[in-house]
Formats: sequence, C-alpha cells, structure tokens
Amino acid sequence: MPIDVLDRFLRPLRGRPLTRPYPDEPAALPPTVRGLPEVDPSRCDATGACVTVCPTGAISLGPTDWTVDAGRCVFCAICATACPQDAIRLGSRFELAARSRDATHVVSRIGDPR
Amino acid sequence: MFGAVEFPGGTEFPGGTEVRHVQPDELASTTARFIELGARYEMLVGLDERSVGGDGLAVEVDLSSAGGPLRFRADLPLAEPAYPSVALVVPAAAWDEREAKDLFGIIPLGHPDPRRLVLHERWPTGFHPLRKDVDAALRPPLGDRRYVPFEVHGDGVYQLPVGPIHAGIIEPGHFRFSAVGERILHLDARLFFAHRGLEKLVEGRSFEAAAPVVERACGVCTVSHALAYAQAVEALTGTAIPERARWGRLVLAELERLYNHVGDLGNMCAGVGFNPGVSRLGALKERLLRLNEGVSGHRYLMGSVAPGGLQLDLNEDGLIALTAELGPIAHELGGAIRSVIRSAGVMARFHLAGVVSGELARTVGATGVAARASGLEDDLRRDKPYGAYTDVEVSPAGAATGDVAARFHVRAQEAQEAIRLVAQGLAHLQPGPVRAAATRQPAAGETAQSGAEGPRGTSRIWLRAGEDGTIDRFHLRSASFANWPVVVAAVPGDLVPDFPLINKSFELCYACTDR
Repeated sequence: MPIDVLDRFLRPLRGRPLTRPYPDEPAALPPTVRGLPEVDPSRCDATGACVTVCPTGAISLGPTDWTVDAGRCVFCAICATACPQDAIRLGSRFELAARSRDATHVVSRIGDPR
Repeated sequence: MFGAVEFPGGTEFPGGTEVRHVQPDELASTTARFIELGARYEMLVGLDERSVGGDGLAVEVDLSSAGGPLRFRADLPLAEPAYPSVALVVPAAAWDEREAKDLFGIIPLGHPDPRRLVLHERWPTGFHPLRKDVDAALRPPLGDRRYVPFEVHGDGVYQLPVGPIHAGIIEPGHFRFSAVGERILHLDARLFFAHRGLEKLVEGRSFEAAAPVVERACGVCTVSHALAYAQAVEALTGTAIPERARWGRLVLAELERLYNHVGDLGNMCAGVGFNPGVSRLGALKERLLRLNEGVSGHRYLMGSVAPGGLQLDLNEDGLIALTAELGPIAHELGGAIRSVIRSAGVMARFHLAGVVSGELARTVGATGVAARASGLEDDLRRDKPYGAYTDVEVSPAGAATGDVAARFHVRAQEAQEAIRLVAQGLAHLQPGPVRAAATRQPAAGETAQSGAEGPRGTSRIWLRAGEDGTIDRFHLRSASFANWPVVVAAVPGDLVPDFPLINKSFELCYACTDR
C-alpha cells in the first residue's frame, strides 16, 4: 500500500499530464460527438420533416433560412434520422453559451425553397 | 403454480397477461392472497378509462409469479373513486397509492400516510392532472395549504430540516430529521420538487416522439428507461429487433451500470471523506464516460436505444477503443476497490451504518443493489432475462449484512461483472442492421408492461396505446422510486452525521422518482 501511494505521487513526473489545457487549447472531441445539428444547404429541400419531429420544437424553417434554438435542442438526433434528404448532421459545435435568450438561435441560410 | 388457486368470484386463475377485473373492495385482499402464495409486487398504477371506452377511473395492481404476470384491475366510479388501501397489506404499494391519489384523485381508504406526495400542497385541491379532462397546458392557480411534516414529540426530541437546496450540486429533496442528540428517531423525506409531468406530456404522442422524453426522465438511468420503454413498444407493435441491436443494447446497459457503479463507489468514499478513493474512482468514471462518447456519441448514452433497436449504430472506432481499454479498466478498478477495503478507517464507518434487514427490504420493496445487499435474490437479468441476457450467464452479486459496507461490496462485484458482460457483448457484435420496423399498429386500449435492470434496480414501464399508434397512458416506476422508502426506513437508529453516507450508499435519483 505505501508503495502504491508513492507510485501515485511520482506518476506525474514520469508521464505527460492527464488533464487538458482547455479552453486555452481547443478541445479534441471524438468524431462521434453529437453537438448542435447543422444543415447542409445544398441538400436541404425545406420539407420541414425536422420541424415536425423535433420533440422540443427547437427547429424552425423560414423562407430562406433554417434555425435551431440551442436553448431548446436536446441533441437527440431525431431530426437527422428523419430528414428525407439526409441534410442534417449533428456537428461538433458544443460551446453554446450566449448572452441573451435570442442569441441561442443559430441560423443557417438554405436559399430559396424549390 | 397458481393453476388451482380459487379466484374471487369462483373462477380458477390460470395466470397470463390478461387483466382480471375485481371489485374495488377485493383488490387489497386479492393482492395479499397472491403475495402470500409467493407472487411479487411490481406496481400499482392509476388509470382514466374514459379515453378507451370506459366511464370512470381504475386502479391496477401488477404482480409477477412463477406462473407468469398477474394483473388485477378495479374499476372505480368517477363520482366516488375509492377502494380499501393495498398498502395496508403490501407496504411497497404505499407511494404508488399516494401518487395515484394526487394525480387521479383515486382515494386509497385507510392508507397509513394519506399526505400528498407528488403534487405538493401549493397545488390546488381537486386538481388531478392525469385525468383525461385536464388539459396538459393548464397552469392552475396556487393553492394555499401548507406542508405538514411528520413530527415526533417528547423530551429532548428536536427537528433538523435539511434542503431542498443542498450544498453540493445534487437534486432537490427536503429531509426532516426528528432526533435525540445525534440519533435519528424518524426521517421524513419530501421529494417530487422536480416533478415535470412527463407522464402527461407524452400522452397523445407517437411512440417514436415520446422516446426522447422517456429517456430524459433522469440523466443516469437513460439506457435502462429507454430499454424498458422500447421493449414495451416492441411488444405492442410486434417488432423483432435485429441481432446487432440486441447485443448492442446489452453492451450499452452494462456500460451504464459500470460508469454508475464506479462513480457511486467513489461517492461512498466522499461520504466518509476518503479523498484518495473519490479522486481515483472519479478519474476512472471520466475514462468510462469518454469511452461512452466514443461508442454512442453521448457521455451518458442518450439517444442510443430506440423502439425497434438502436437509434444510431455503435461507432466502430469507439468499440475498438472500448475493447482495448476493458483490461486496463478492470485492473484499475480492482486496485481502487482494494485501496478502499484496506483502509480500516473507511470500513469502520461503512460497517453497520444504515442497516436494512432482508425482511425490511422485502416488505418495503427494495430493488437492485439495495435488495441484493440485504440478502435478497432480485435481479431481472436473472429472474426474467430479456434481450441478450437470455444468452449470457449473469453471476449473482450479493451480501447479507444490509449495511453500507454490503452495498459497497455488491457494487464492486457488479462493476467487475459488468466489465465481463461488456466484453461478452462485444464478442457477439456482428455487422448488420440495428433497427427494425413495426409489423402492426396496436389497437386503442392494448397494454404492455416491461422492465429493465438498471444500476439502481428494476425500472418498470406500464404502457397503453391510444388511437393511431399514440400513447394513451405511460407510467414509469423507476428503481429509485421503489428504493426511496427503503432509505427512509434504513436511517432510524443511525446518527445524523451518517445520513449523507447512508444516502450515498443507495445513490438514488430524484429526477426519475419525481418525473
């Protein structure tokens, strides 16, 4: 037991640090991370399937834009599954702090609906 | 085993999933008779029959027996929905009855503790939100009644109110101790501060749209709740899930048990101020959370299990990393557990704190670690195997002393067993589809019950279909809901300063209790 404890004290001197210097350096997230949904404007057909299935009503569709409210989104990925055009991905964006309620709305331009 | 038992009303009772209708005044006696014969209490659920062709309310008791599930339902007139309390003969039903009383206005006559439970006193009198004529969007005015705590009177007895706001970042609960000196005479636990009305919220939704709500009932039993719900939906819709999803679910469920148990073992060290254990097990939990993220895309495994299989396929790179890490994690876990057990000061605090006898655990309805640490053999994975658990051998974990030390040992055994089961599950994962479509749409009024063994015990789902594949009634009886009355029963006779430790040894959720 004392050797075990000693080993624990000495371990930081032997290897590299276990902690990460975030936010001074960007966080390295695994590729599977499910951050805020992102839309691919070239694929989006404005069918509105995402708006219908979203369990929290976080997604809205305007004439030329697609908006997700980061304050309502629960990152469930149901929009990505439901999109018939496969236009939605859960991206790697996770830093979602905002200074006001309105600033949680993240807008993407999707061009004119066909 | 119940083939020849006389059923009230003269018919022989064959067992099976069919509901047996009984008179309201026969519900408690019928339940008691079958419990005496060896059946086990599962849950009591309140119902509003008006949405499925009835004209009043109803209360249903679900039991399990060697001969299959037993379900007894008593129809109650809307004008006077009352029946003799089941809790008088089956104490484990006490909170279920108080919940049905608050949410449906169904009165259990002679209930030993008829105070409010789910809806606190500031909710108006006569407001029963789960009744079908109450609009989910309704925001009723505040009532004006006050909370009446259970008080103990006598020379030298004083009360110690703690919470609902606590020093750490934990969930809200008000604990009122009646104590003499440091010794606890009685604990009154007031929970349900986090009641969000999830059961009302999912009514009228499709099975699909309700899934993200169900798995967010709490943050740490996500897979268990999603799994129990998915199984109930699959039973209603005749869905056979693909092989990869079946084994993937086992891997996810055991990963959930593993990170919970590792974190809870660390938290128990925090209960006695043993910081080396807290840090070491906390660091190990973080490693597990990162592996979870690599496999499922979510540190707490949300959005992985869905009705029909898995919502997203497990990530191949994440699975490879997990496979490589299992050995080192088992090694580190073993070392961390040994360092705690070898610390005499820690174990002196763990021994004989918060003792729950086997008799008490059975009577009050303990489940999971809380039951197995008191010598009960209770594990849904072994008792009624579901999914891939039918194809693996789960070694029983157990201890007999029922104290904090016993709960530590049971968790330690189960965490190591979970690593073994994850490895077994990974070995069976073959490429293939992960989701299957439903083969039928259930008729309005069809019901299904399901359960899953999570880190805190068996969580149960009661589900009834409405029109067009929507939900008519959804009820979640989480493992934490079942175990909170056990915590309350465990502490009398212990010291007030030991309560944080005893509470941590159960480590129950508030959110999925409150829903």
